[in-house]
Amino acid sequence: MKELIEAIAKALVDSPDQVSVRAVEGEQVTILELRVHPSDLGKVIGKQGRTARSIRTILGAAGMKLKKRYTLEILE
Amino acid sequence: MESQAGATSSALESYLPRIESVLREILRQGGFHLSAAVRKGKLAVEGMEPPEFVVDLSGPDAEALLQKHAALLDALEYVVLRAVRLDEGLFGRITFDCQDWRWLRAQELQLAARVAAERVLETGDPFALNPMNARERRIVHLALKNQPKVRTLSEGFGPERRVVIHPAPPASHGAPRS
Repeated sequence: MKELIEAIAKALVDSPDQVSVRAVEGEQVTILELRVHPSDLGKVIGKQGRTARSIRTILGAAGMKLKKRYTLEILE
Repeated sequence: MESQAGATSSALESYLPRIESVLREILRQGGFHLSAAVRKGKLAVEGMEPPEFVVDLSGPDAEALLQKHAALLDALEYVVLRAVRLDEGLFGRITFDCQDWRWLRAQELQLAARVAAERVLETGDPFALNPMNARERRIVHLALKNQPKVRTLSEGFGPERRVVIHPAPPASHGAPRS
């Protein structure tokens, strides 16, 4: 799932080499922490958070297939 | 509108290879059993131009794609079109679809709009439809554009924004009512 977020973020940003994702595994849920170059923050969040919301929808659907919950945190 | 559509057809086509590769990568990494095929848009919603190109998704996960008013389909479309840097003004020209969902949903919205308008005419009270995204609100506005007895307004913010149908103010007090 880390690779999914990496793939989406790298496609969205101007500096794909600055994209990193860290998975923090909890008991019920895995948190995926996404870091991008500060100038790319807007590209992964989007207007009124629409891009971030869309990424979360994709992540949620992919997690559902694995019967697991994932949370995306975008770190500044 | 026509001139814009004509001028952008080949420009739009140049986005397709990148759209397909970004989409395939997301589908692969997400473990979605879906494949994508690009075709020319053909089904036009009444009063609207058909999209230039349709990215048609199909496969065992089609059902997941269309759940919750096609939330996943919309999310994939938005992320991929953003990723390829398509101008947002052209987002309706390339659409993602599955089992003609867009067209069927438009039929549903047009019917809902007409039923709600009749209700407004009967009761004289405004009627608020469910919250919708900009694309769906536009379909509702267009569906009632030629209905002079009501007017439609979008009200609210963000994901709560919805179309409210109001009775149109009478054109003149002396006009006969039917």
